Amino acid sequence: MSINVLIVDDSGVMRAMILKSLRMSGLPLGETHQAANGQEGLDVLNQHWVDLVIVDINMPVMNGEEMIDRMRESPEIKDIPIVVISTEGSKTRLEKLQQKGAAFIHKPFSPETIRDTIRDIMNLGGDDEGAD
Amino acid sequence: MKEQIKKTLYRVAEDVLEKLAFIFSFPEDERENIDYASAVTAKVSFTGPFTGTLVMAVSSRALPELAGNMLGLEDDEEPTLEQRYDAVKELINVICGNLLPAVAGKETLFNVDPPKIIKDLENDMKAFSSENEEGPNPLAAARLDIDEGQCDLLLFVEGDIPTDAIHSE
Repeated sequence: MSINVLIVDDSGVMRAMILKSLRMSGLPLGETHQAANGQEGLDVLNQHWVDLVIVDINMPVMNGEEMIDRMRESPEIKDIPIVVISTEGSKTRLEKLQQKGAAFIHKPFSPETIRDTIRDIMNLGGDDEGAD
Repeated sequence: MKEQIKKTLYRVAEDVLEKLAFIFSFPEDERENIDYASAVTAKVSFTGPFTGTLVMAVSSRALPELAGNMLGLEDDEEPTLEQRYDAVKELINVICGNLLPAVAGKETLFNVDPPKIIKDLENDMKAFSSENEEGPNPLAAARLDIDEGQCDLLLFVEGDIPTDAIHSE
């Protein structure tokens, strides 16, 4: 099984860092897509098969929380696992995201944290590592 | 209180620079501020239990390595100007996002604006800094030496921080 991933973050540097971490993680990566805000992310989801969404919260045009809400309202994409990677530090806001079924990774992060969180949310065992 | 916030600013900045840009930094509290004219500077403003602006200035000569590390570029690849600016904006964004709950506690709510590159720091600082006779007067400053250059962080806060807004670890 390979995982098609969509990375949504308004920072090109952060998208590159997340992608680099995913490649280092040993997870079986398939296609990777990128978007700079929630609206662009939804457009990608309408055009491509995606198994996992990694999304920031604070973005222009459409923030990550609104994107998650739109995904959960749409039957075709409501069950896609979501990992939020953000600097958000407020307990209240984190609990709200968890109630929407999203996992959370705090910036700055390590590749191991990304790998373990994705394994957990996608129910992947430890022996699903890719060859690279 | 100021000393506690300064220590937190140093700790968060050193941690983020190491984890995000793979760069070790060393506190140089006694040195002068960077020459802002030859640095890339960015700011992030925030509102919440207290309101203010965090400013970050990085020596231009340190930026290629810093941005290259974040992007995972090879030694012979040079980051573009846009990538260098993006790297500084992401760094200050993460530093601010980690600093505020470290100062005020995780129960608090802050709204943090998107980071912006500042073209004329000296002039821009007048908008959010109370000046004394020695110039802009930040609540806390962290001066760090990094590979190939320097990095300054200045925390400006409007008015006084309420005592009950400070989280004691």
